[in-house]
Amino acid sequence: MGIYYTKLAMLSLWKTRYMSLLAIIIIAVGIAATMTTYTINYMMTKDPIPSKSDSLFLVRINNWSPDVIYGNEDEEHAPIYMAVQDAVNLIRHDKAQAQIPIAGFKDMLKLPTQDAVDAKMTFVRSSTRDFFSSFDVPFLYGSPWPQGSDKSGEQVAVISKKLNDQLFAGKNSVGQVVELGGHQLTVVGVLDDWSILPRFYGESTRAFKGPRDVFVPFQTQLNLELWSPNVQAFECWKEADNASVEAFWASECIWVYFWVELHNELEKDAYMDFLESYVEQQKALGRFQRPMLNELQSPAEYLKEREAYSSDSEIAVWLAICFFALCLLNAMSIIMTKFQSKAGEVALRRAVGASSVDLIQQYMIETGIIGLFGGLFGLLLSQVCLMLSSQLYTHLSKDIMAMSAQLMVVTVLLSIVSSLIFGLFPIVKAIRVQPATQLKSL
Amino acid sequence: MLRMNKLAKTYRTNEVKTSALRPFDLEVKQGEFVAVVGPSGSGKTTFLNITGLLETASEGQYWLDGVEVSTLGDKAKSRLRNEKIGFVFQSFNLIPELNIYDNVEMPLRYRKLSASQRKERVEKALEQVGLAKRQTHYPSQLSGGQQQRVAIARALAGSPSFLLADEPTGNLDSKMASGVMSLLQEINQKGTTIIMVTHDLSQVAFASRVIEVKDGVINDVENYAQEIA
Repeated sequence: MGIYYTKLAMLSLWKTRYMSLLAIIIIAVGIAATMTTYTINYMMTKDPIPSKSDSLFLVRINNWSPDVIYGNEDEEHAPIYMAVQDAVNLIRHDKAQAQIPIAGFKDMLKLPTQDAVDAKMTFVRSSTRDFFSSFDVPFLYGSPWPQGSDKSGEQVAVISKKLNDQLFAGKNSVGQVVELGGHQLTVVGVLDDWSILPRFYGESTRAFKGPRDVFVPFQTQLNLELWSPNVQAFECWKEADNASVEAFWASECIWVYFWVELHNELEKDAYMDFLESYVEQQKALGRFQRPMLNELQSPAEYLKEREAYSSDSEIAVWLAICFFALCLLNAMSIIMTKFQSKAGEVALRRAVGASSVDLIQQYMIETGIIGLFGGLFGLLLSQVCLMLSSQLYTHLSKDIMAMSAQLMVVTVLLSIVSSLIFGLFPIVKAIRVQPATQLKSL
Repeated sequence: MLRMNKLAKTYRTNEVKTSALRPFDLEVKQGEFVAVVGPSGSGKTTFLNITGLLETASEGQYWLDGVEVSTLGDKAKSRLRNEKIGFVFQSFNLIPELNIYDNVEMPLRYRKLSASQRKERVEKALEQVGLAKRQTHYPSQLSGGQQQRVAIARALAGSPSFLLADEPTGNLDSKMASGVMSLLQEINQKGTTIIMVTHDLSQVAFASRVIEVKDGVINDVENYAQEIA
């Protein structure tokens, strides 16, 4: 019967084509508004790394001024980042499955063969090789630098696919050399396409920007004293001994995010014990004079606390849903008018033996097809809206404005299901006609 | 066989109670050709609608081929209507966007028949009404008489026990009407029971039995022609 009902639905849609088209357009506009805002909100609030969301933690220790609460807040929290010396110490103690300092700088990047004028300002991420394995970063060529590079601060780099395309025309550049701020770095790996949204591991204000193009060992940044105060947020409760980078590294200024990978509660408890002993040790050395507030914070908790995403986008989704409901009510009114003209056919079909269920099935297929077309057209409109949004909001990663295949399927299904629900009332109303009256009046 | 016992129909609107059909007993045997006559508004169509399960009687009992219908639900009634009853309406009631084949096939779609079984029945029904070669035509491409023949083919396709016709020639000229009546007579002679509401006295002659409905009262008329003379 499905094929028969579909054939009848297509004939009916053609017969009432203008009304049907209007209903389809109204549904499409509603679904496009909803799914565009939902996509942006979903991409902003989704779990950036589902396979690791329970095992990655930001380490927070209360290394702030003895005289004032960090952030001048009512409730005291440990800062989100730590001083270089603490990051180095935690790496050296090696108590977690993976230790990932997140630091960075910017500098001029070029090929050794290029002129200085061809150098481009490039943002660099510095970390350890654990960064790549813990954050599931895919490699196109090569691999992360060896563990020895983390310790020695070797001048090596991993570059993004985009940068590899720009500098090496997409060829395998492992072993090639790039020049960063006058320092020569050997490429050991090239990343494949990689996007992580929200980019939880660094500054929350940049959570919706794409990853950087160059990655170097944290120790390399320290050794080469590569520092960009206007790029990297930092806070100091005590001035460094002098203006040198070396003094800054040795200061109590905090700016290094420090993530660890811990696979279960036991490991987590053990790491908390380690942090406690570490802080006690530092207290004995005269540091960490504030109450101990050690914390291991998950990516979701960190993003929520830092209010990485505004509640405005959630409000926008609700507004869009309300708009969609209005569109559906409009479509329902059109479908009702459309079905009113079917009273004669309903009566005839009842007379020849169709039950109410038969007619409900037949007309639900028709409203389902309206929903399907509305969904497909809405999907097309959503893509246009997302494309326009990505051009309008250039400060946000384009990946936020991209609908996954799963969301595309949801778009069409949502349209079909909501059309079926909102089409039910007109259908029930249509089939409740008195066949006897209708057949006589025909 | 069709049997009605103390069947009555009353319409209620607010405080007003209108008796459309007063309690009556009726039995129609297999193979009868019953003409239902009476003035306009007398209750003929109400009688036909109750007979065809399109309306429910207010009181009394009704057996259709041994099945008491007053307690049946929508699905069972629809099934009974589909299997036992064929309708022919004054205004043909064909679906304009479906071709002749699809129009005739319509009742069969609500039965669990294979495509080949449906095809066989549709072709047989269309052959019976002389329109076998018009299967792919649309109703608008046919004359009124031909459209009514299609409607009769649609009623016959399901091999019903009863064919209920409400003024089947009301929208046709005399020549076409005569053709349709001959066809109904032929169908009746092959064993299908026909109950036909008509205003046209010339058509009463085709019937083997006449029932008169007057002011909601149903009576068998032994010799209708003489009575109205």
